[in-house]
Amino acid sequence: MENDIKKEAKRQYIHFFRIWFIIVGVLLVMAVPVVAVKLMSRPSEGRGNHQAPKERVFDYADVLTEGEEEQLRELIKKSEEEIGCDLILVTMRQPVEGSEAREAYNYRYEDWELNMQDIADDFYDNNMYGYNAPYGDGVLILDNWYEGQSGTHLSTSGRSFDIFGDYEIDQALTCVDNYIESDPYRAYRDCINYITDRMSSNGGTEIASGLLKLALVLPTIVAGVFVGMNLRSKEGKKTTTATTYIAGGKPVMNLQRDDFIRKEVSRRRIETSSGSGSGGGGGGRGGAHVSSGGHTHGGGSHRR
Amino acid sequence: MIFKCKNCGGNSVYSPEKKMMYCPFCDSEKSEERQYEHARMQVCPNCGGETAYTEHTSAMQCPYCDHYIILDERIEGAYTPGRIIPFKLGKESVKGLLRDKFKKCTFAPTDFLSEVRLNTMSGEYVPFWMYDYHTRCQFQGEGIKSRSWITDDMQYTERSYYNVVRDMGIEFQGIPADASVKMPDGIMDLLEPYNYGELVAFRPEYMSGFMGEKYNMAAEMIESRAHAKMESSASAMLQKSIGGYSFVTPVNRSITAPPPGTEFDLLPVWVYRYTYKDKEYPFYVNGQTGKIIGTTPVSKAKVWAYGATLWACLTAILVLLGVLSAYALTGIFTLLNTYSA
Repeated sequence: MENDIKKEAKRQYIHFFRIWFIIVGVLLVMAVPVVAVKLMSRPSEGRGNHQAPKERVFDYADVLTEGEEEQLRELIKKSEEEIGCDLILVTMRQPVEGSEAREAYNYRYEDWELNMQDIADDFYDNNMYGYNAPYGDGVLILDNWYEGQSGTHLSTSGRSFDIFGDYEIDQALTCVDNYIESDPYRAYRDCINYITDRMSSNGGTEIASGLLKLALVLPTIVAGVFVGMNLRSKEGKKTTTATTYIAGGKPVMNLQRDDFIRKEVSRRRIETSSGSGSGGGGGGRGGAHVSSGGHTHGGGSHRR
Repeated sequence: MIFKCKNCGGNSVYSPEKKMMYCPFCDSEKSEERQYEHARMQVCPNCGGETAYTEHTSAMQCPYCDHYIILDERIEGAYTPGRIIPFKLGKESVKGLLRDKFKKCTFAPTDFLSEVRLNTMSGEYVPFWMYDYHTRCQFQGEGIKSRSWITDDMQYTERSYYNVVRDMGIEFQGIPADASVKMPDGIMDLLEPYNYGELVAFRPEYMSGFMGEKYNMAAEMIESRAHAKMESSASAMLQKSIGGYSFVTPVNRSITAPPPGTEFDLLPVWVYRYTYKDKEYPFYVNGQTGKIIGTTPVSKAKVWAYGATLWACLTAILVLLGVLSAYALTGIFTLLNTYSA
């Protein structure tokens, strides 16, 4: 008897969760080979562009030591392999604003930001940077140390242009701003790390990260609701009405009178009021423009 | 008395499905004959075994020979029921109803709906007093009808006052109140209503195959319960009759009824007493309509097992989807990017 009950309990349990077990099983069967293949063959697709120079750190402003430059080169090399995107750091110390600078350096504009943008884009395009192809995937950090006109510009191209919106560009530039005065090496390192982090977070990992976060909360809520719903029980409800035991289903009216007595009318003024509301949103390819060489770039600047 | 089959000597019982007396031993129909009328109550007239009955028992089953015994002196004289609604639903039908209703109770103990447990269910004729009231409802009060409208920036409200008078008679028939101490009053109220169209003159044959009781208390002792039902219903009728007013202020209001007419009847109830962890969970089923009243017990082991499994399955699904999207979708996105480049 006891064994029969246990057997029945097991049968009911399996029957109840059969769909869930099948889903878990199917996903497991799909996930195991995918993970195995990924772990066994981590292919490095390699560069598709061999026309760009190998140098990535151009310290024209001479704000980094030889050792710091070397460390940044190592960091960039590692990051590029990870994210498949060129990372170029250029420091300089030259005027980029006003009519004198425009004449002296043959700029297209007198505006600080537009000239920084041109310099960054031209440096990228002239050197034919791009991990996958010339003018392809890459990010260039241009940092100007000229007194009174110092600031940083970030130029994005290719895949980084698709991923970096205004928010990401601002965050990357803020990484530079945080330490540039006290420790330029740390400022550039943080910026490169931020770019690497954002570039490695593509659609797949975004969804994965969302699902894993969901896995921490959703099952507990669902299981709680499931248990709560099944614990609810009611003895039964009343199914008799006021007329259930009345012969003929209705009373006999012997007298029904509704005699009008009087009427009163009152009035009041209506107070009126009005209100309004607004909303908004945003996101997307940050600072989109076309460079003088005709290539699409994104980007933005922070002036110090 | 006991009803015996003339053909085989077995115990003939009333069959709700066949709506007649039936011998479950030889399948004979209407083959019953009364035996052992006015036998001694303390022993089973069929086997001589000692029977356990309470002071109100009128029909029972011998624990030794399983014959259904009807105690003559508990259905005669002052205890003769006026009418009876014979069981319309048999045990098998009620088992089906219980299974249908409670099959989705995931946390109920596994053997709650098992055949063995459900077979312990018994059909019982519960004694009811039926009350007939000739009720008079009188009302006099002030009613206000209100309407409002807007002209330009002014809101106008008009109130019309009326003298409202009502006088109505309500004939209540068969307001039931169970006259059994062992049956919970609230549960018996919830089992209502019964279809009185199937009330028939009492015959002892209907009790063969079931348990039964005579009334445990006189009609006057429990009249207050029926009176409360009558008053509640009359009050609702009165309220309904003065609808249409925005506000009604009563001046005089009365619901009166002379002493009611009463009748002692028997109504059918199936009782399933399920015991779990030393606690009894009774279920009552209207033997005529199939209405079920009762609360299922909860197996804590099942709550934990099912809750935890659901949690684990959902977590596993989300994690696996996360892994798949991290690896598989990354590959797809890379391919798409490569292709678009």
